[in-house]
Amino acid sequence: MATLLNADVIKQIEDAFAPMKESVHVMYFGQKDNCMYCADTQQLIEEVVDISDKLSLDIYDLDADADVAEKFNVDKAPGIVIAGKDGDTVSDFGIRYAGIPSGHEFTSLIQDILLVSGRDSGLTQETRDFLKELTEPVLLQVFVTPT
Amino acid sequence: MVQAEMVEASEFQALSSQYNVSGVPQTTINDGAGTVVGAVPESNMLAELKRIMGK
Repeated sequence: MATLLNADVIKQIEDAFAPMKESVHVMYFGQKDNCMYCADTQQLIEEVVDISDKLSLDIYDLDADADVAEKFNVDKAPGIVIAGKDGDTVSDFGIRYAGIPSGHEFTSLIQDILLVSGRDSGLTQETRDFLKELTEPVLLQVFVTPT
Repeated sequence: MVQAEMVEASEFQALSSQYNVSGVPQTTINDGAGTVVGAVPESNMLAELKRIMGK
């Protein structure tokens, strides 16, 4: 199968990943039926994860692995969880993608990986203080398009 | 406690219609309790969160 990322892009991502600090674990959820972009998304994620040994990947099916999907609150395919990994422990920071991260969203994906690797949200102290006091879950759904 | 999901609007059109997404990025908070249109500064997002939390 032809690769989605060409040599130039791989080189750019290698450079971007060079300063990665901590390991990042990606969880991909596909679905057999009615998922137009699952195959491309899975291939894209596999190619990205191959670029750095600080990245690991587990592949799941939304239906066959419904228990894992529920645990990580994933209900769409293709669905992607970008988590941290410290030893054998997966640290979930609540970062998800629903749909193929292509175009501009590919840049967001790479930046999210770097953000998780740095283990620092970059948020202001005021925001951190507010979030620390949360008593109910917050779900932010950011609608985006690839172009 | 916080989950942030980037949703590709054209792949999940039912959801986009449900939240009247007309431009991107648009952020829906807690199933429509709050909405932020555009790529806004962090302080705007925080203000909307505080508003829907009643703080």
